[in-house]
Amino acid sequence: MLEIRNLTKVYDDGTVALKNVSFSVTDGEFLVVIGLSGSGKSTLLRCINRLIDPTEGEILWDGVDLAQLKGEELRKARRKIGMIFQHFNLVKRSQVLTNVLAGRLGYTSTRRSLVGRFSKKDKAKAWAAMERLGIEDQALKRADELSGGQQQRVGVARALMQEPSMILADEPVASLDPVLAHSILQYLEMLNQEDKMTVICSLHYLDLVQRYSTRVIGLRDGEIVYEGSRADIQAMSDDEFKEIYGEEAERVGGGLEGDLQVEEGGAA
Amino acid sequence: MNNKLNLNHTPEEIRKPSWVPAPIAALFSLIVPGLGQIFARSIRRGILIIFSYATIAGLTIWRFILAAPRDEGIVNIVKKSWHLDPFLIIITILFVLLHLWIVYDAYMLARHRDRTPVSVFFIILVVFFALGWQIGQINLVNLVTQADEALPALGRVAWPWEKAIDFDEDEIRAIADIEVPCPEDHDPPPVNEVGSDPVIVTDVTCGILKDQDGTLGTILHLEGFNFIPGVEVDVKWADPINNEFRQRQGGEYVVLIPDENGYFEFDIEMPYRLLPPSATEDTYIWELFVLQVAAVGDAHLSKDFKLVVEKMIETIFIGMMATFFGVIFALPVSFFAARNLMSASPVTLVIYYLVRGVLNIIRSIEPLIWAIIAVIVVGLGPFAGILALVFHSIAALGKLYSEAIESIDPGPIEAIQATGANWVQVVIYAVIPQIIPPFVSFTIYRWDINIRMSTIIGFVGGGGIGFLLAQYIRLLDYRSAGMAVWFIAITVAILDYVSAEIRARFV
Repeated sequence: MLEIRNLTKVYDDGTVALKNVSFSVTDGEFLVVIGLSGSGKSTLLRCINRLIDPTEGEILWDGVDLAQLKGEELRKARRKIGMIFQHFNLVKRSQVLTNVLAGRLGYTSTRRSLVGRFSKKDKAKAWAAMERLGIEDQALKRADELSGGQQQRVGVARALMQEPSMILADEPVASLDPVLAHSILQYLEMLNQEDKMTVICSLHYLDLVQRYSTRVIGLRDGEIVYEGSRADIQAMSDDEFKEIYGEEAERVGGGLEGDLQVEEGGAA
Repeated sequence: MNNKLNLNHTPEEIRKPSWVPAPIAALFSLIVPGLGQIFARSIRRGILIIFSYATIAGLTIWRFILAAPRDEGIVNIVKKSWHLDPFLIIITILFVLLHLWIVYDAYMLARHRDRTPVSVFFIILVVFFALGWQIGQINLVNLVTQADEALPALGRVAWPWEKAIDFDEDEIRAIADIEVPCPEDHDPPPVNEVGSDPVIVTDVTCGILKDQDGTLGTILHLEGFNFIPGVEVDVKWADPINNEFRQRQGGEYVVLIPDENGYFEFDIEMPYRLLPPSATEDTYIWELFVLQVAAVGDAHLSKDFKLVVEKMIETIFIGMMATFFGVIFALPVSFFAARNLMSASPVTLVIYYLVRGVLNIIRSIEPLIWAIIAVIVVGLGPFAGILALVFHSIAALGKLYSEAIESIDPGPIEAIQATGANWVQVVIYAVIPQIIPPFVSFTIYRWDINIRMSTIIGFVGGGGIGFLLAQYIRLLDYRSAGMAVWFIAITVAILDYVSAEIRARFV
């Protein structure tokens, strides 16, 4: 159970990214955060694992306030929260295997990581993770030799290595084409349903939101402007979606519930 | 659609009318080129023309005075200059043309306010080009006519390898004693016997010297046996007090070449020599001897070749050591010169600007100048060269490294942080993998540059092959210089290839 209470983030330059945001996520949910770029989605996700320090508010996860953690405790908490990024954030010149193994760093002593030695168990785990995501053939290639979809799967495998109970996905498919977008989200759905991981994911496209989310919150200018269940979002029309998004709403199309008509006219 | 396009174009600017009528503007420009344009209300154009014209006039006057420095009076100077450097005639013509064109330009500008003639600036450009040609003393004729005179030297540079191989040399010396004059009371020295060694034999072993009064010297018929065929033999004399001198006949030194049996013969006229007043003996023994310098034994590498190789090795190590020390110092410095690391507080930002400034100053001074300074401090030799290159390397690498640090992608850093990794782990897994490839690449690139630089840093005393090359060029020893040039070229080519290979593997 994750409970966000009155979360506020003001950047040094005075930008208010989050204003008094409160919501809660029960374990096993697939929560989708929607909103324009600049609406505070990324800041919200990064506050949860403290890549960004919130200015005010509480982030209670199973009773522990993540916002107050420091040093070793913070790192221990981060281990249980996997993160997936829009631009994959792989170390491009390192091998895929090394990138995946990096997910174990939270469990590896500094001394061992200095010489780059991971335990046999970790290595076996890495191969299993890569196999699960279908990238075991690419294990010894440099990360930047892979296609975008493959790189994101490396990103998912890295998160999986942490054996997390929660996954934060910041626009995980925004750099991918529609087919790949579905493929990556299906992996996240698999982790959500098979491994019972909580997923908090920011997305842009209405059809993807409708297809994968169990609950949706909408952000605009750092405030929650919409909160809806799976049923609500299924019933949502393009016009309602656009209200949250302003005029930039789009459907990804080409996928399971793709609507090419809307995609073509979407940006109008 | 067309309408729309036309609207987008800025319409021709309708200029305000000229202040003065066109002929007056032309007259003004005739007196002061550019003034007419100003009065025609093209003020910027006029000022530009005035300045261009003044510059051109100044340069032209300078070139004329320089061509005829001792003459006085404009007419004399111009005449003499035209005579000494006909190219100045062209410049004079262009200058006059420019002046007239400016007058024409002023007239046109004052008269037609709706269009702007451009060609005056084209003429200005042509005049500057002509002046540049004259100031640069460009002489294409020399380039062609003197090329064949340079060919022998260039040929030796291009193919210097004759100098790379030496043979052991042996000096063969054969002597015959000649008594001067022929004695009356005893026999002259005996004739040499021919055996298997090199030997010379004369038909007579005594005679008289050539004298000032016209007396001819005795003609000796000289025969040589068992010499090395085909190799030059010098003929020399040693007088009674052991002065040696070469035999001259018909104004030329006598040089004999033995036939395939090692035999030669020649008629030698006895030389002209004054006996010292102290000579009181009746007769003296003069030695007639021949010398043959012959290559014997195996070929071996010449001294110059070995020296070139040694200095080449020295050069490579100068470059290597300079790179090594450059890297060691540049690594820490580069972190202080990386903006993304130093922009945290005003104090670090000041350090950043300071370090950047110092690096820029060091880098803007050529390694050759650093070498001259280093030679003053530590004296001639490779250490001076290393110091000079280290300075420049620190500055250049510091800048390149810091730019590599500035351009690292923050994405992987936050991704590794998100896994629960600590600070050390973030550095090892997210920062270092990103900066190692550019660092290695820049280091190899710098090594490449340093070795190329170390070949010329010797010209100012920084050791290495440049030092040797400069010496050979001054001694006009073009073959040895050629060897040095070849070695530099080969080394640099190999290095280019190797560094490209290594870089391709790392980046």
